Parts: sequence; C-alpha cells; structure tokens
Amino acid sequence: MREKLLYGAGLAAFLLLARNILVIADLPGEAAQGAIFKIIFFHVPAAWTAMVAATAALTLSILFLKTKDFRYDAAAVAVTEVGLAFLAANLVTGSIWGRVIWGIWWTWDVRLTSALVCWLLYAGYLMLRHAIEEPTQRATFAAVFSIFAFIDVPIVIFSIRWFRTQHPGPVFLSSTGSFPHDWTMVLLWNWVALMLLASILGAIRLGQEETQREIDYVRRMAHAL
Amino acid sequence: MHLIAHLPLLWAQASPEDVVLEMARLQRNFQFLSYGFAAAWTILTLFVLMMVGRERKLKRQITSLKAMLEERQKK
Repeated sequence: MREKLLYGAGLAAFLLLARNILVIADLPGEAAQGAIFKIIFFHVPAAWTAMVAATAALTLSILFLKTKDFRYDAAAVAVTEVGLAFLAANLVTGSIWGRVIWGIWWTWDVRLTSALVCWLLYAGYLMLRHAIEEPTQRATFAAVFSIFAFIDVPIVIFSIRWFRTQHPGPVFLSSTGSFPHDWTMVLLWNWVALMLLASILGAIRLGQEETQREIDYVRRMAHAL
Repeated sequence: MHLIAHLPLLWAQASPEDVVLEMARLQRNFQFLSYGFAAAWTILTLFVLMMVGRERKLKRQITSLKAMLEERQKK
C-alpha cells in the first residue's frame, strides 16, 4: 500500500514538474535581468522546502525528547537529509544567479552567510549521528543539536528584513515586493511539486531508517543469544 | 520567439555593435540559467543515488543477517 502511494505521488510530482518546466520556458524574460531571472522558480521553492524540512526536524526532535519514541528520531533524520539536499540546490542556484547579476559567485552578506551556516549546522547534525554508536544517546544528542540548529532558520528567513543585504529584499508577502500574480502562481505550483518530491524522498529515507533499526535490533538479539 | 520580437526595436535604436553585445548578454543569460537548473537537478540526483546505494547496503545486511541466523539454527 505504502509503495503504491509512493509510486502514485512520484508520478504526480513528475507530471507537475514537467508541466511547470513547460510553463516556465514559455514565460518571457524579466525586463532588467532577462532569462536568468527564471531561476527564481527553482531557487525560492527549494529554499522554502528546506525551511519546511528544518521546521519538521525541530518538531520531530522535540517530540522525540518528550516521548523517547524512536520513530520521531527516524523521521527527524529523514527530513533533515532531504532538507539539506534542497538547501544545497538553493545555495548553488543562488550562486549562479549572483554570478550573472552581481558579477560574483559569492558574498559574505547576512542572507547568504546565514544560509550557508544553516547548511553546515544540519550537515554537522548528520555527522554527529555517525559519531555516536549508542542509539539512545545518539538520538538524544541529535535531537538537542537539531533544536539548537533551528535557531539559524529565523535568521535566514528574516535577515533580508532585519539587515541591509546584497541579496534582494522580500518580494513575496511584502508591501515593497512587485511580483506579478501569474508568476506567483507558477512559483507556488513549482513549490507544490518540490514539496511533493521532498515528501516522497523523505518517506523513502524514513523507510530505510526504520529497516536499518530493525536490522540493528535483530543483529543485537542474535549476538545476545 | 521573444528575442525575434525585440529585434526591430534593437535595430531602430542601437548600433550593430550594441545588438551584438545584447545578443551576447542574452546568450550568457540562457547559458547560466541552464547551468543553474543542471546544478540543482544534479544535486537532487546525487541525493537519490545515495539513497539507492543505502538501499543496496540494507539488502546486503539483510542477506548476511539471514545467513548468520540460519547458521546459528543449524548449530
């Protein structure tokens, strides 16, 4: 049943992404930036997806500390890995966009730096998990670290409102933004597609994590006998 | 299509050198746009490949675990 659902969701994500690519290709270039502006349709939804994943990781980590239920720990590591992949895609597309518009691949402005720090923190979370053998200790330390890492997420999101940055100011949900309605819809549909893709990857990764735990459990039992 | 629509305007207001420069800018824009999309999809594909690798590792572990348990049962 779970596999059928995943295949169905995968097909829906593929069709939606294919449709979105055709729609984005048909849009005209932006007046000042030209065609490169179209990268926004992947750059921004990838960032939103990563931020949703970070929020889910925070919630699951808190739930683990509260209940000590290892299913929450497995889900936390699954969403963190998926979020990390999408944040990497966001950073790379942003860097390429910056090379064309600013003439530089990277600048140490608050938005870019906080996003990179966010990526490094969640990469550190995964490294921490590899470093600890004992399952309960690993899950507890990782959950505390995930809560600590989330402190950076509001800084990433609001840095363009709190500080003067090289990165453009808020375009969406802002009185200063001027993003056309039909373009907003294209962007939102692409976010739906990426969220669907992230959910599928997260569900597969969660399945792997659960299988790994079962294997470890059976192996411990076998050695104990 | 959009580029062709802009060409008469460009010819009317700019010198041939300007048109060449603008064409080069547009070409560069498209080139970097394709780099951006290719890089993003490459990252996601690498992540999927990592998951495929992990799946294979899990299957290997299950097989070795089954073999170990069968051996213990024989003893």
